[in-house]
Amino acid sequence: MKGRRHLDALDDDIREHLERETQDNIDRGMTPEDARAAAHRKFGNVALIKEDTRAVWIPVWFDQLLQDAHYALRTLRRSPGFSAVVVLTLALGIGLNTGIFGLIDALLLRSLPVRNPQQLIALMRIQGGQSGESFSYPQVRFLAEQNEIFLSLCGFSVDTFNVGPPEALEPTGGAWVSANYYQTLGLVPIAGRLLAPDDDRPGASLAAVITDNYWARKFGRDPSAIGRPLPVEGVPVTIVGVSPPGFSGAIVGNAADITVALNVLPQLKPERKSMLGVGGRWLKVLARPREGLSRDQLKARLAIVWAQYLSGTVTPQMSPAARARALSPTLDLRAGATGSSPLRGQFRQPLLVLMGVVGLVLIIACVNVANLLLARAAARQREVALRLALGASRGRVVRQLLTESGLLAILGGGLGIAFASFGGGVLVNLISSGSGPDASEAIALDLGTSWRVLAFTTLVTVTTTLLFGLAPAFRATVVDPNLTMNASPNRVTGSRGRLASALVAAQVSISLLLLIGAGLFVQTLQNLRTLDRGFRHEGVLLVNVDATRAGYDGTRLRAFYQQVLANAERLPGVTAASLSSITPLMGGGISLPIAVNGQPIASGELHGNLVAPRYFETLSTPIVLGRDFTLRDDATAPGVAIVNEAFVRHHMPNGSPLEQRVSVVGSPRELQVVGVVKDAVYEGLRQTPPPTVYGAYFQSGGGAVTLEIYGGGSLAQAASAIRAEVQPKLAGKLVKIQTLTSQLESSLVQERLMATLASAFGGLALMLAAVGLYGVLAYTVVRRTSEIGIRVALGAQRSQVLGLVMRDVTRMLALGTAFGLPAAWAASRLVSSMLFGLAANDPVTIVLAVALLVMTGLLAGYLPARRATKVDPLVALRCE
Amino acid sequence: MSTRSAETRVELLQGTLDVLILRILRLGPAHGHEIIKAIERSSEDVLRVEQGSLYPALHRLIKRGWIDFDHGTSENNRRAKYYRLTRKGRRQLDVETTKWETLARAITRVLRPA
Repeated sequence: MKGRRHLDALDDDIREHLERETQDNIDRGMTPEDARAAAHRKFGNVALIKEDTRAVWIPVWFDQLLQDAHYALRTLRRSPGFSAVVVLTLALGIGLNTGIFGLIDALLLRSLPVRNPQQLIALMRIQGGQSGESFSYPQVRFLAEQNEIFLSLCGFSVDTFNVGPPEALEPTGGAWVSANYYQTLGLVPIAGRLLAPDDDRPGASLAAVITDNYWARKFGRDPSAIGRPLPVEGVPVTIVGVSPPGFSGAIVGNAADITVALNVLPQLKPERKSMLGVGGRWLKVLARPREGLSRDQLKARLAIVWAQYLSGTVTPQMSPAARARALSPTLDLRAGATGSSPLRGQFRQPLLVLMGVVGLVLIIACVNVANLLLARAAARQREVALRLALGASRGRVVRQLLTESGLLAILGGGLGIAFASFGGGVLVNLISSGSGPDASEAIALDLGTSWRVLAFTTLVTVTTTLLFGLAPAFRATVVDPNLTMNASPNRVTGSRGRLASALVAAQVSISLLLLIGAGLFVQTLQNLRTLDRGFRHEGVLLVNVDATRAGYDGTRLRAFYQQVLANAERLPGVTAASLSSITPLMGGGISLPIAVNGQPIASGELHGNLVAPRYFETLSTPIVLGRDFTLRDDATAPGVAIVNEAFVRHHMPNGSPLEQRVSVVGSPRELQVVGVVKDAVYEGLRQTPPPTVYGAYFQSGGGAVTLEIYGGGSLAQAASAIRAEVQPKLAGKLVKIQTLTSQLESSLVQERLMATLASAFGGLALMLAAVGLYGVLAYTVVRRTSEIGIRVALGAQRSQVLGLVMRDVTRMLALGTAFGLPAAWAASRLVSSMLFGLAANDPVTIVLAVALLVMTGLLAGYLPARRATKVDPLVALRCE
Repeated sequence: MSTRSAETRVELLQGTLDVLILRILRLGPAHGHEIIKAIERSSEDVLRVEQGSLYPALHRLIKRGWIDFDHGTSENNRRAKYYRLTRKGRRQLDVETTKWETLARAITRVLRPA
């Protein structure tokens, strides 16, 4: 490094050398001036020598890069307006891309923060062509015993726990896990210990592991929190340890702050203890296979043990059909590094579509910047010509111009990352808006910057630079120095008109594509919102009440609910109230095998619900035949049922429905059909209403219910009145209140995300394209000032001048539309599965999008065109 | 200044300056101007060296570790950098000299066949 310091003294060394040589010359009798001149002559070009010497230590390209960057910075500072517009445009484009990619990374790509995540596999269950990831607890236990296949295997699921003293319950995200959960993931506690197989035994003492995040949030990382009891669901559970920082469970998106063993479920949630039986399939499975087993070997061995398991579940009493069904599921596996997430199925396609959308927005932004640079390159032709004339190679000048572009892109990229970190939170909130009223159910995604996101942004920035910088740079250097230097300083030689027009036309077609996409998604959301799905949602309040935990059951439970309902009906502002087991769009339903007049229905299971009197009135579902349930339809009265029109259509083709009976297959109790109601959907708005059987809740109901309360005005008071009355009687179980409208909106989260973002990005694209169009035309008008002046001087009318410019606008719009329509047609087929109530080539949407685009384009073109008509021929010609 | 006419002077071959510098420094440490003067003198002014090109060459040799320098004062009490040969440079000079002699003999044989 001594040598490099040596370089710093080079100037002194050279001066010293020249002085000595001069002195020698003087000694030989020269005059001082001649001596100095001779010394310089003999020494050679000082600047060149210095450069050569520097080149010994510092690679030439690096040195030139520094020079270029320095020069670029100066150039950009000289035109701050231009630089700001470019940097902001790029920041917007890069920021959007980074934001969406960050979400994709967090949800789809990122590995769990566990030991060697790439070794993990996730098990899948295939039955009847459908693949699912859920297993029952007995299945998990059986699979976990297969030591010759797996080093370790675990099952787990997320849940919400009510944590804290009865008067201040706090819903908290939690997880149920099997014995080997932490061992399989290979985690090490940062405090205390993690759950061990001993904790996962029936009747084991209650132990919980909390996340580092929860430890910090609730206990300020106090070590004495370990060993303390934490009331979970009203039962004290001992905190035994803290999982490592960054880990929030194996289900991405659902942070599990409190983790407990599956076998203590009966102690915490006794009403759900059946979930540990063979009937409940609710656990995801991750496993670490033995080393050295190939994927195929793994699958082959699994198939053998799985067949053993299944054969153990069939009994001689089973019918052949039931036996075949019990033996039919098979196993498959996939890489388990990214864990599991219910959000993936819902948001994979939307996110990929949005990635494409923001990619297109970035291209439009790049085109705008390229056009700005083209205009500037034209203005800088003299500068470039001068540099070429002075002997710079074309490549060198292109490199210099690209450095400027690179600098702009780096500034834009930096700002873009800042935009993205802000926008990422907004996106997660948008997605989260579908996950229910509790903070505990909010989606938690780690959007921390990962190397993958950084690499992506870098790649985008570099691509961007080349995209918007290369064409202008090459275009700028195609100049004949002679011609350019001799031309008048106000004139710009060469044409860039065709390239710029083509670029604008490309912007127009991309904008059209995005506008059509946005129109389709907005229309889909609108269709789903206004669709008559057989129930009303405005003004309906849902109150979730579960009295089973408080010890109520059977007749006492029904009496309790009847009392709650009666009180609710009397509250001011309440027009109608009822209750039911299932509410529309709550995200699930009851399926039952049904028999009509004793004959089981061939098509399998039907939707069922248990409702109280006035349910149909409260939700405004018309009763088309017969009567509603009444309070007289109780446990002692003859069994009654109400069916919907779809049920009648499919399963009661003959005779009056009111003369027929239905029953649950296997149950001796027959229910007389007393009414027929209009169809209504339950599981999703896109569903066609399924054939449905309603039973009377006060006749045969049990379990948790939801009150539906309808009123004209605000129901906030009614809500708090109900909570105040009911909550004290239900220790450990929170009364949840939300509106049916918000439940409906929750089910539309994917559609809302697409409609919101697609129209925001479509609008942005339109705006950018309009700016691009405006810029190019404004520049053309300036360039053609003298031509227009001559035309006006020769007698051209204002309208003719206007037409001259507007012809350009029309041509670009027509060209853009001609390319945009087929592109939109092709692209919209990719999203047709996400649409509802309209086809991907919906003519109304397309016409509206084209109209919006053309109007915006004409407006953007009219402003420069009008300026052209104001050209004063005298002024214009004097410029020549 | 040199009094010889242009025809009898020879442009320095690419890379030979490095060997010449090593050879000069073999005689003992010298500063930049001295090195140039020594080359001009010992080649009897036949070799024309653009004096400035000495500096990239010196830096090249330092980078390769063949020479090093110390600060000192020259005969008339001026500050100067004294370049000197390192052990590695001394070995390199032997290599280069042998190479050069082989090359010169070969070229001579071609130009003046015996």
